[in-house]
Amino acid sequence: MNQVKDNIIVRIAGAAGDGIASAGEVFGRICARSGLHVMAYNAYQSAIRGGHVWLQLNVGSRKTLSHGEAPEVAILLNRTSPALHIPMMKKGGVVFYNSSQIQEDLSKMRDDVTCYGIPFKEIFTEAGVEAVMANTFLIGCVVGLLGLDANIGLEFIRDRFKKKGEQVIALNNRVFQGGIDWVKKNAKPMEVHLKGDGKRRMFLTGNHAFGMGLLAHGLKFYAAYPMSPSTGVLHYLATKARSHKLVIKQTEDEIAAVNFIIGAAHAGVRTATATSGGGFSLMVEGVGLAGMMEEPIVIINVQRGGPSTGIPTKQEQGDLNMIIGASQGDFPRIVLAPKDTEDAFYTAGRALNLAEKYQTPVLILSDLFLSEHFQTCDAFERLLPIERGKLIDHTEGGYKRFLITEDGVSPRLVPGAPKGMYCSPSDEHDEVGNVISDVLAGLPESLDIRNKMHPKRMKKLDMARREDIKLPTLTGPKNAELTLLGWGSTYDAIEEACEYLRQEGIETNHIHFTDVYPLPNEAVREMLESCKEIVAVENNFSSQFTRLLRAETGFDVKRMVNRFDGEPFTGEDIFNRVKKELAYV
Amino acid sequence: MSEMKDFNSATHPDWCPGCGDFGLLAAMKMAFAGLGLNPHEVMTVSGIGCSSNLPGFINTYGMHTLHGRALPIAQGFKLSNHKMNIVAVGGDGDGYGIGVGHLVHAMRRNVDMTYLVMNNSIYGLTTGQTSPTSGFGMKTKSTPFGNPEVPLNPLTLALGSGCGFVARAYTGHTKRLVEIIQAAIKHQGFALVDTFSPCVTFNLINTHQYFKDNVKDINQEGHDTTDLAAAWKQASREDVITTGIFYQKVRSCYEETEEDTLAEPLMSHKLGITSEQTQKLCAEFI
Repeated sequence: MNQVKDNIIVRIAGAAGDGIASAGEVFGRICARSGLHVMAYNAYQSAIRGGHVWLQLNVGSRKTLSHGEAPEVAILLNRTSPALHIPMMKKGGVVFYNSSQIQEDLSKMRDDVTCYGIPFKEIFTEAGVEAVMANTFLIGCVVGLLGLDANIGLEFIRDRFKKKGEQVIALNNRVFQGGIDWVKKNAKPMEVHLKGDGKRRMFLTGNHAFGMGLLAHGLKFYAAYPMSPSTGVLHYLATKARSHKLVIKQTEDEIAAVNFIIGAAHAGVRTATATSGGGFSLMVEGVGLAGMMEEPIVIINVQRGGPSTGIPTKQEQGDLNMIIGASQGDFPRIVLAPKDTEDAFYTAGRALNLAEKYQTPVLILSDLFLSEHFQTCDAFERLLPIERGKLIDHTEGGYKRFLITEDGVSPRLVPGAPKGMYCSPSDEHDEVGNVISDVLAGLPESLDIRNKMHPKRMKKLDMARREDIKLPTLTGPKNAELTLLGWGSTYDAIEEACEYLRQEGIETNHIHFTDVYPLPNEAVREMLESCKEIVAVENNFSSQFTRLLRAETGFDVKRMVNRFDGEPFTGEDIFNRVKKELAYV
Repeated sequence: MSEMKDFNSATHPDWCPGCGDFGLLAAMKMAFAGLGLNPHEVMTVSGIGCSSNLPGFINTYGMHTLHGRALPIAQGFKLSNHKMNIVAVGGDGDGYGIGVGHLVHAMRRNVDMTYLVMNNSIYGLTTGQTSPTSGFGMKTKSTPFGNPEVPLNPLTLALGSGCGFVARAYTGHTKRLVEIIQAAIKHQGFALVDTFSPCVTFNLINTHQYFKDNVKDINQEGHDTTDLAAAWKQASREDVITTGIFYQKVRSCYEETEEDTLAEPLMSHKLGITSEQTQKLCAEFI
């Protein structure tokens, strides 16, 4: 392959509290403003200070599909970093570190890696320069090494420190420019051709996109209890409460959170919550209540490594079984698993629409990777129309909240209208809302009501399958010899793996599900039956989606690749695992 | 103007004859009518239990929800439509047992609503087990050798949790109960009214006769309802069973902290954002 290299993998490592996230964001945003594409992944631990953390950014002229494996450029910020990260560097890699901080000579660790130790304290002796500014200096070094436009970096620093005044801006700009100048004088340029396309992109996480997507599509009330990795949605929305007139409520627990939003939904307000698996476990009874009382709620469940507290700051797609089966009895639910940051934005809006259209819970399955990794994304220009379904605000009397209709959805009256009084019960009830369990229990009439009301609710799933559930996407050649099958946030990594497999001469395509429940069973079965060899790729132990497919469609995917060590897939990783799986006969 | 009968529901309560909950239901209707409220201006929210069936027996808007969860639902509703009057109702198991966590936080949060607890010191709907307010040593189906736990005092719990309106009444004393419910609804902030509502089937200790013989209204002997220490003392008395308004203090309710957002009820806000706003939101990440 004599292609020009058009991407580079950059890693920033150090102790929690060293400002890695901030340094990574600065570097990522400079790349994003330069019209490049970035996919970043943050490896952190459940410690506010002291744990070892690193952030890896895959920067490219074309869309980068994973954060990549071996880093090619690294910024090391503390003394434990060299021993951990220098052995992982790619041959020919370059390391920058502050030798005022790390005093060992790193040049002897690898012959094939160049290490530049720069004594920041000696270079910048002027007053006002703080130790933490070494981060800005080292970013300047990398920007210089990669040949990015220094002006975009300087402009970004100006914007970032706008509130702190001209002096701080000037100082930071000098430090940043110092890094660029140092590299020009002392380092060999990197052989990489990074060329932006002129677009200034956003650099944001899935949680930001969820929050913005909810906000842009009519959210008015959000209640949540903090839990990693879902809390970013709460943080984002809390900053918008005043400017967009939202009620944002941190509740005493997740049980309260889900019931607060049920109360809000009942009042006719667009509402949502987000949590992770443990919190969702507590919300389960509320999910069933919303199903029974036909309340439009949206819950974002950001999966992390389970079971129980599990690996709280690590990746897994392990909550699908719980989401599909959550709460006693049968009731309709829609489960959506967005594939990337942009999809997170639109899925949030779509979920609010679907919840009101079907008057039932819509559950979004995200995961730590999608919710917390930063990715470049074109600014959102298009918004979904806000569709409120059969919401009414007026009645002349004789109102039946649970009226049996052809599609199972009843006109939903906002409480407060004169002549509309009704009671919504969690007990089985008739069309008006009278419960059958007390007065009518055991009477034939109660059986009759039950036999009408239960199918009335469940019927909504038929309409969802017919009108709203999207078939999985198929990318790559139609009759490929190999099909990789995935769902949710693994989309980009699987796409990357397909590229690698094709480069090896294995014709590969990719079937990907974002709408995971209800499934359009026959169409899906047909699609799967037309494939020659399918390998299901899941970030969990027991191939939960493959099992769901088997249960719903009767189609048995036999080859599987599973990763459950807490790390997200990369294309390279899937490529290796798929080859191993295929070799196994 | 409404009348008491406007609040009558088509469904007749299925409570046992003599149940104390009838007294509260009647008092609620009288209190609403007396305050000039119309049925469509009231939202009655309950959890699960005998007493939580009440929203089906009164002609207002209603939600009959999950065991212990009436308060979070009621607060979510109130913050979304604060022009309506929210009354949460339920039993002692619902509010002081499974839902007590929500109660404590609702009291300190101080959303403007009223919570009426029909306290019978027993689990009735599940046919007679010990409750958080069952007396020490009380024999029930789950404590055949006597309740080994001391009862929870809802009034001191409320006083210690920042509740701005703390009262107790006996459901057999209708006139006084109506006055207290009206004061609770008029109170700006969260109001707790614990009511003795005897279970005639499963609690043969705390009977109508027992309360008739033992309750004493502290407001008739010049209790200062602004004195927290005096309220605590009255709520802890063991010589008689005290009733009345123990404590009342108006502090700013939760909705007032959201004054700007809630100038109009949330449910009537216009939805969606402009393309300028979208651009601005996106620009924060560029």
